[in-house]
Amino acid sequence: MVFTQLLINGLIAGAIYALVASGFSLIYATSKFIHFAHGVTIAFSSYILYFLFAVVGLNFGFSVIFAIIFASVLGLLMNLLVFKQLRKRKTSGVILLIASFALLILLESLILLLFGAEVKTVGYIKVAGGLEVLGAIITPLQIFIVISSFVLLGLLFLFMKKTKIGKAMRAVSDNKDVAEIVGISSEKIYNWAFIIGSAIAGIAGILVGLEQSLDPTMGTSLMIKGFTGAIIGGIGSVPGAILGSFLLGFVENFGIWFLPSGYKDAIAFVLLFIFLLFRSKGILGIKREVEK
Amino acid sequence: MIEAYLIHLLILIGIYLILAISLQLTIGYTGLLNLGHIAFFAIGAYTSALLALNGVPFLICFLLAGIFAMFFGFLLSVPTNKLKGDYLALATLAFTFVVYSITLNWTGLTRGPLGLPGIPKPSLFGLSFSSNFSFLILTLIVILVSYLIIRRLVGSPFGKVLEAIRDDELATKVLGKNTFKMKSYALATSAFFAGIAGSLYAHYITFIDPSSFTLLQLIPILVIVIVGGLASLKGTIVATFVLVLLPESLRFIGFPSSMVGPMRQIIYALILILILIYKPKGFYGKVELE
Amino acid sequence: MLKIKNLKKYFGGLKAVDDCSFEVEKGKITALIGPNGSGKTTVFNLISGILKTKSGKIIFDGNEITNKEISEISNFGISRLFQQARLFNNLTVNENLSIALNKEDTKFLKNLSLKSNLCNEEKEHINKISKLVGIDEFKNKLARNLSYGQKRLVEIARAILNPHKLLMLDEPVAGVNPKLKKEIAQLLLNLKKKGETIFLIEHDMNFTLKIADHVIVMDEGKIIAEGNPKKIKDNPKVLEAYLGD
Repeated sequence: MVFTQLLINGLIAGAIYALVASGFSLIYATSKFIHFAHGVTIAFSSYILYFLFAVVGLNFGFSVIFAIIFASVLGLLMNLLVFKQLRKRKTSGVILLIASFALLILLESLILLLFGAEVKTVGYIKVAGGLEVLGAIITPLQIFIVISSFVLLGLLFLFMKKTKIGKAMRAVSDNKDVAEIVGISSEKIYNWAFIIGSAIAGIAGILVGLEQSLDPTMGTSLMIKGFTGAIIGGIGSVPGAILGSFLLGFVENFGIWFLPSGYKDAIAFVLLFIFLLFRSKGILGIKREVEK
Repeated sequence: MIEAYLIHLLILIGIYLILAISLQLTIGYTGLLNLGHIAFFAIGAYTSALLALNGVPFLICFLLAGIFAMFFGFLLSVPTNKLKGDYLALATLAFTFVVYSITLNWTGLTRGPLGLPGIPKPSLFGLSFSSNFSFLILTLIVILVSYLIIRRLVGSPFGKVLEAIRDDELATKVLGKNTFKMKSYALATSAFFAGIAGSLYAHYITFIDPSSFTLLQLIPILVIVIVGGLASLKGTIVATFVLVLLPESLRFIGFPSSMVGPMRQIIYALILILILIYKPKGFYGKVELE
Repeated sequence: MLKIKNLKKYFGGLKAVDDCSFEVEKGKITALIGPNGSGKTTVFNLISGILKTKSGKIIFDGNEITNKEISEISNFGISRLFQQARLFNNLTVNENLSIALNKEDTKFLKNLSLKSNLCNEEKEHINKISKLVGIDEFKNKLARNLSYGQKRLVEIARAILNPHKLLMLDEPVAGVNPKLKKEIAQLLLNLKKKGETIFLIEHDMNFTLKIADHVIVMDEGKIIAEGNPKKIKDNPKVLEAYLGD
């Protein structure tokens, strides 16, 4: 049935976007700027997996773990080497955005340089037959993606609610100055946000790398989708980002029922544009500063 | 051989220059972080190309390219009026993506990824500008006029109000200025020049496709504007020369052609990051990006 | 000149301005005082159009200006000074002042054809006011390079140069040294002598009571007292509002 297929496709897409969006939202909620380069963290993770597993021939499990760690460290380095330095000059979110944008271009070009523009595949999972569920086709990998996504998001939720660091993150996100008075080091929290957010991005990279093929700009397109999801759901709110991402996944897939499939990405952009203009708080988002 | 290469470079510098000084008008003078500049470039290029391919004389294609782009610039200013800083950047960025998507998918009009080949070289008042050298002259004339107009605008009281909007929009409103109108004018003017730059580009390369109008093409222009220094036309000019010529030297150091592209981007990105951290006013700017 | 009728502004549960009514008379200096958080700046922001309200009327010079656009209200003749410095930091003092006076600078074509510059008369006027306020010597300095006190003076000059019938000054002497305070006090009295109407918010009681003709006291969004400075000084309700804070 077409309807269920679209629903399932929407679910799979939403699951991936939610992973992208949650990591990104974590960083935005704490550091208060739009970390564009988050997308390239995802791409790097995929490419490292490809490199270690398909090129060097290392054990798959090890490749995965290393790729995720690499992504996490990459995010942390971006924070320490670039964003922290900019914060010392008391720059605004706009400058951090531009710097992150520059990092995106830098690292994406690096991937292009190191690996070339031709599409690559990880080739771990041979093309498997799909299972039939409620009249729609879904492959085991896709089921795994959806389940992992839910599990990870659930873990993230628990982390934010129950752990000391998670609570500290929420404190910094709500009011950095008050959090510092209480003794929380905001720089440390930023580091954690980047470590965890980028690790999640790393996992997203692994899943996408297994499901689809790799190309140097894959990070940017995912980032835009994840970011749109975050805006729809409410930027600065991790649950909102997740909600928005699933919504985006569904709208995108139902949208191409009516439009030529090439417009799939355009749907996301238009939604992004609309939400930025009219509901920039998103559905669950934190309030933007009132014009002074 | 060398001469042809130099002429080519100068033409590129020329087109970048028009794009850069028009972007400077919005970012440096008005404080609007307009990342949608490339979209106006694209609109101008496609407008000019499509009209020319249908037999319309160059001058009209050229002017309509600017006017059409200007119209979109004005349109964009309406919903983005209340957006601040990073949100404005994103909305204009999204606009670039939407325009890109349309050029890619509206194959009936733009032939999508196949692009538009065979765009005729310009011919004005019976003179044909088919040689690269004559095209360079044409470009120089356009640059000169564009520069003079923008310089006059930013040097005038109008320009001062734009700068006031950049420094404190609320205080500007409280002095009785209609800041929405001013921002619209800035965006529309900036878009106009991006549009005519697009027309020049289309008629020079004689082939355009969506891949020439992505975010990647914005990078050099953005870097030029920031590195040259915000609100400095002189800085923009110097930076254009430096930043276009610098990566070209890579060709001579022995890097293969396929590497020059990504290396160029890496250099631009690195320069941008370093400038932001260590010299945020750029080289000639008086304003810090806030 | 300015009539406020039943003005209300609630922020969720907080009644920032709770049913205020008062008048500002032409040719006089009226002061709006009250402890921190009593709603004074909110009232100012409502008058300027920075905040909107669903309840109450603001009438200026016979025109209803409630909820109008900020720039519109300014063009009705209200000139506003803010609590925090809001100068155009990357422009010179002279450029800051010229913007206030120039009414042709938003006209695109006029500016392209160089017909929008200030005429000599207007430039003279700027010089006059600069000297009056005491900022003439640093006319060509970038605003960001001025000291706090100098910035304040430039803002006052800018507010004066903006064509107006009413000057609204939010804490004009906040953070300013005593000598400068005296100068500004004298400046305001001089302006009044020239027929200006001034409406100001101030925390410095001495300053206020010395120059104001009429004082309005607010506390917790309401007006608790009104009258000439002497009456207000001895008013027990006023003392309580300040001390009980």
